[in-house]
Amino acid sequence: MSNVEADHTRDPCPLVIISDFGGAFAMGVVGGCVWHGIKGFRNSPLGERRLGALSAIKARAPVVGGNFGVWGGLFSTYDCAVKAVRKREDPWNAIIAGFFTGGSLAIRGGWKHTRNSAISCGILLGLIEGAGILMQKWMAPPVQPMYDPNAQPLGA
Amino acid sequence: MSFLWGSSKPEEPKTVAAANNNDLQQRLGFDPSQVSSLNQAINLDAAKLHPLAELEKGVEYLDIEGESILSSEGSQNGFLPSRGFNDDLCYGTGTVYLSALSLGGAYGFVEGIRNIPRGTTSGKLRLNTILNHITKRGPFLGNSAGVLAITYNIINSSFGALKGKHDDWNSLAAGFLTGAIFKSSKGLKPMGLSAALMTGVAAAWCGVKRLAN
Repeated sequence: MSNVEADHTRDPCPLVIISDFGGAFAMGVVGGCVWHGIKGFRNSPLGERRLGALSAIKARAPVVGGNFGVWGGLFSTYDCAVKAVRKREDPWNAIIAGFFTGGSLAIRGGWKHTRNSAISCGILLGLIEGAGILMQKWMAPPVQPMYDPNAQPLGA
Repeated sequence: MSFLWGSSKPEEPKTVAAANNNDLQQRLGFDPSQVSSLNQAINLDAAKLHPLAELEKGVEYLDIEGESILSSEGSQNGFLPSRGFNDDLCYGTGTVYLSALSLGGAYGFVEGIRNIPRGTTSGKLRLNTILNHITKRGPFLGNSAGVLAITYNIINSSFGALKGKHDDWNSLAAGFLTGAIFKSSKGLKPMGLSAALMTGVAAAWCGVKRLAN
């Protein structure tokens, strides 16, 4: 990659889609295990709590994983497509990709639903990108003021 | 709109570059664009340098790879890039999940076409029937296969980390355990069946890896 802005911690583009699918799916499954484990535990009668947690995990965790995986993979696919079209890497890529992802996932709900979902997904990704930039600025060391040895002494 | 669509950057004139090159050549005594190796250009004489640098043995190169499970034998499968556990998990799960999703989706597509209600002329109704069948079959198969792939990869990588090397036995044992865990709440017989099936799948994967490499 010759692009200076490119993020070199991630794999090159067409391949990274598979990795993102798998990573998002795994994240969703683990998160779904925790979420539905607690939910199943709390919603079961005393004495059957462990069984309830287990059956809730078995029934729901893969579904959460699937939803996460499809979202992540679709986002990655659109991100790669947008990168290929725009030939640059900046926060707008993620926002545009989020817009298309939200729209694609809601496309069966009709035109209005698709539009609203796309816009809110784009805004969400914009917020995430903005937070990322803020974090980056916050983490970066401040510019040190330098002493100029040739400077004229300040007149008093 | 150039911030959105990118702008074509103006090409730097070639003559400026050539003039720069000429200037550099005069100043340095050699043409920088012809240099392929630093050793030839600088002509390092180890004797001239400080003895503490211990350069008599020649130039030592940095070992960037480092010691890791990656350099242990059999960690690369030859199909997908891997820098360790995380890549194995992501790429393995992603490949299996996507394949199962497509396979289930294709099955659902055929099933949907067969199950279109008779006498419907509405295109929307037909499309809806097909889509319903695809989204019923595809995610079900994909999710199950994805969970199996995650479990397999976690167990396989743990074995690899414990033993210090990846081999076929790790893979077979991981397949067996994955199958057993997957059906662990259904009783002994389904457990044994699914364990045997997954061991077979792991064996097939090992065979494919051996044939390809």
